[in-house]
Amino acid sequence: MRRPLKIFAFDPMRGRAPFSTLEVEVENELNLKPGPRGSRIRVVDYDGATRRHYAPVDLDDRAILMQGGLDPSETNPRFHQQMVYAVAMKVLENFDRALGRRVEFRRDPRCSFTPGLTLLPHAFRGANAFFDPKFQSIRFGYFTADTKDPGPNLPGQTVFSCLSHDVIAHEMTHALVHRLREHFLEPSNRDVLAFHEGFSDIVAIFQHFTFPEVLRNVIQQTRGDLRAPNPLVELASQFGYATGRGAALRTAVDRPQEGIRSPAESERLYRQARLYETVFEPHERGSILVAAVFDAFFTSYLGRIEDLVRIATGGTGRLPEGDLHPDLVNRIADEASSAAQTILTMCIRAFDYLPPVDVSYGDYLRALVTADFDLMAERGLSERRALIEAFRLRGIYPTYVASLAEGSLLWPGPEQRLTIDLTQQVMGTLLMQAAGAFDKTDETRSFEESRRVWAKQLHAWASKPTITRALDLDPDRKIEVIGFHPTFRIGRNGELQVEFVAQFGQIERTERLSEFGGLPFRGGTTVIASTNGEVRYVISKPLVSPKLRGDKHLEAIERRNQQIEYADSFELADPRSAWLRGPGYDKRMQIRDFRMLHEGLLG
Amino acid sequence: MTAPAAGRAVKIRMYNVGFGDSFLLTFPADDGDRLVLVDCGRHFASRGGRPIDQVVATILDDVTRDGRAHLDLVIATHRHQDHISGFADERWKTVDVGEVWLPWTEHPKDPEARRIRDAQTNAARRLQAACERLPAAAAAPALELARNSATNAAAIETLRRGFAGRPRRLYLPTEERAEATFQPQTLPGVVVHVLGPSRDPDVIRDLNPPPAESYLALLRETSPSERERRSPFGRIWTVGRDEFAAEGHYPELTMTDTEIEAVDGLGSSDPFALAVALERAVNGTSLMLVFELGEALFLFPGDAQWGTWKAALDDPEWRLLLERTTFYKVGHHGSHNGTPKTFVRQVLGATDETTATLGGFSAMVSTETIPMWPKIPKPELLADLGKRTTRLGRTDRTAQPDGFRVGPQGLYVETTITV
Repeated sequence: MRRPLKIFAFDPMRGRAPFSTLEVEVENELNLKPGPRGSRIRVVDYDGATRRHYAPVDLDDRAILMQGGLDPSETNPRFHQQMVYAVAMKVLENFDRALGRRVEFRRDPRCSFTPGLTLLPHAFRGANAFFDPKFQSIRFGYFTADTKDPGPNLPGQTVFSCLSHDVIAHEMTHALVHRLREHFLEPSNRDVLAFHEGFSDIVAIFQHFTFPEVLRNVIQQTRGDLRAPNPLVELASQFGYATGRGAALRTAVDRPQEGIRSPAESERLYRQARLYETVFEPHERGSILVAAVFDAFFTSYLGRIEDLVRIATGGTGRLPEGDLHPDLVNRIADEASSAAQTILTMCIRAFDYLPPVDVSYGDYLRALVTADFDLMAERGLSERRALIEAFRLRGIYPTYVASLAEGSLLWPGPEQRLTIDLTQQVMGTLLMQAAGAFDKTDETRSFEESRRVWAKQLHAWASKPTITRALDLDPDRKIEVIGFHPTFRIGRNGELQVEFVAQFGQIERTERLSEFGGLPFRGGTTVIASTNGEVRYVISKPLVSPKLRGDKHLEAIERRNQQIEYADSFELADPRSAWLRGPGYDKRMQIRDFRMLHEGLLG
Repeated sequence: MTAPAAGRAVKIRMYNVGFGDSFLLTFPADDGDRLVLVDCGRHFASRGGRPIDQVVATILDDVTRDGRAHLDLVIATHRHQDHISGFADERWKTVDVGEVWLPWTEHPKDPEARRIRDAQTNAARRLQAACERLPAAAAAPALELARNSATNAAAIETLRRGFAGRPRRLYLPTEERAEATFQPQTLPGVVVHVLGPSRDPDVIRDLNPPPAESYLALLRETSPSERERRSPFGRIWTVGRDEFAAEGHYPELTMTDTEIEAVDGLGSSDPFALAVALERAVNGTSLMLVFELGEALFLFPGDAQWGTWKAALDDPEWRLLLERTTFYKVGHHGSHNGTPKTFVRQVLGATDETTATLGGFSAMVSTETIPMWPKIPKPELLADLGKRTTRLGRTDRTAQPDGFRVGPQGLYVETTITV
């Protein structure tokens, strides 16, 4: 059973355009309380600006159930609550599906709703919305549109960031990225924060392609060229216009990609633009990642519709003037939607294949390739090739690989055969629990107890001298078990694939060294193993230790220097740095939430 | 360009204004020296150095020949008080000036320039007004910065329309990239390169101050009735905080007091964050100039920020030019924002010929340590510079290295660069 709910397709600004509102289906949470308050997320409509609550919506109310959720409305706060809930659930489901497990939030005794996420649709007055990790909470602001340059908005009208699909999806993704990789909030290199931002945009934009009515409409209008300016590739239009930008906040198509060009021409343009080497502001740098992924999607989509267009045009491949045949539009839309879902799933699934700390775009490319290769060695080839090419075109190269061939991009396996040493009982319990998590009727499940058991066993395993060495961990430092979980996935050939993912972390206490600006130097290793415990991939970011293998030692030294260099350039770009003193200066690299980042007051 | 005669030199005099900038450059020419004044200002927070009216008097004295005060060129790098406050002085009316250079953002008619200027000026005014109504302790650091960005109408008037001799005004750079390098009429034999402020939309974005909404947020009304009046929804939807808790209908929706407090605080902005963002926006309009005479290159970056520096360092031609620097006016009073480390470590003095023929580069920093801002000048930056050259003159030190001369009563520090 699914629960149908209505939302604005993008945001209320498109309210006058066709297909501006639509119905989405989300998991029918049993025991859904007014708020809505579900098992993993709850919406609390408290407004800090007025110090008042807005009456919560009860989605199980019969009158609301009968009409398939409240109708879209800017003036009814209960609809706002419904939309925030619906889009947030959609993002959660995309993560659950791609990761092959139910994502659970961490238990945090400081929060009143835990483990879980609290969303506040009208938390404050201001043109911003952000995820606050301390309170496991997403706060949406509302503000009045620019009085001089409001775009299609009414000058001075109230704009709600919680009514933007993209803002909700973006912030929700921040929260999930933080759940999966806590240390990605520490800007240890120039890609880390940009990855947070770019990845959040990717999820928001690719979710657009799951709206069939809008998709069909856009395909008819653009005659299938999804790179042409259209609402699907634009991010947060109302927000962008209302803040006087005269355009959407961001777009998935980067400048050299606009218009159809020959491969040689676009190669030259990208070389000239040198975006990856010259753009550092996290959102803008994030857009490079978004554009690369979108480019790969577009290539894959073109490959999928080539035959359709040929069939429809009697073999010429050249579409005639005038409207496209509705049947053709439907078929193209199906392909676009399926290609988009494939890419989005790849993007999220790659998460399990990322190192626990200090991510770079190059690491992400390797994770994308490895994760997909693992699941569908043959059939995913065209998407993987498109991704590698799109990254290469933008000058994003992984470090320490021999070439951009698929084989070199795969993460390395252990040098010698290696098996995770856990008791059969622990493995069994873990599998049962994770599988049981998909059963939504069971609300009482608890992982806390088994967590203590496996963490202890894993720690003992990783601490054995031979294993420590094989995992590129420093034998002289404490090893922390960051996480351990099984994943369940279905390959394209229908086979079930079950794997274990373990993450280990280590730390060099550099917080007090001025050149680190209050951040530690972190190391860590992600281990991917089969159900029998056999280790398949070792994805490591080592700390500096002479006891490591030679190349890993050098890699660590280089990485440490890079962190210092990045802190230095961060300081250059940070308007605060000259005027800070004392602890403010010493901890300048610590980012507590995404607020300053989103206001553009940093970097 | 005529080849300069051997043994000629450019004289650079750095007036001791405390925290601020004022430099007098003397360029040699066959028909008599040319005098160039780069900036004349002092920060409100400054305690050391000389009061600005004394500095103006000294400058006027220094440029008066046969009873006539004359400057061939006056340059104001950007509109911050610590660079232009001296131009508010009445005495400039009698000074004969050949030409005045200002950043393009000061152009009276250019619509983009006006937009940026208006935004920055309004932001400064709003921020100052807001800070003056906030508790003194909370607002002090922000207020000092806001006052520096406040428009000094008298100084701007002097620069735009003042001085004797009807000087021509140039707003630099022009929109043509080819015109960024030119031979000024007022300085025979000198080639000038204008490296900033850029007209690139990506760099211009950095010149936008935080939006008006953020300043309003500093003073958000606190009375309950006012708060309610501004509610985005009708009364029928709202439930008071106590009421909501008392009803007991929604135990799953309660938040802890700490959580609620955090949300209540979200609407207000941090005056310091706004002030530094505005400070950077105005600094970003700084003219960044290179004067080239013979083999010598004089780099005056004003208070250029990372955006301008980055654009210059990313441009292969500009980068080669910067490598040949023989004199460097340390950017932004020696703050770390004002001089990229890569510039000091990899670009400055990178050309061997410079080192061979001229014996390394010289540098000057006009600064003062203000207790509120202990990171200016930044010791690590000065140490880095110290590793690259021994010839670093500073207004915040009485002892100067070889090749630098201190003026009477410490009014200025001076050096000469052979060209």
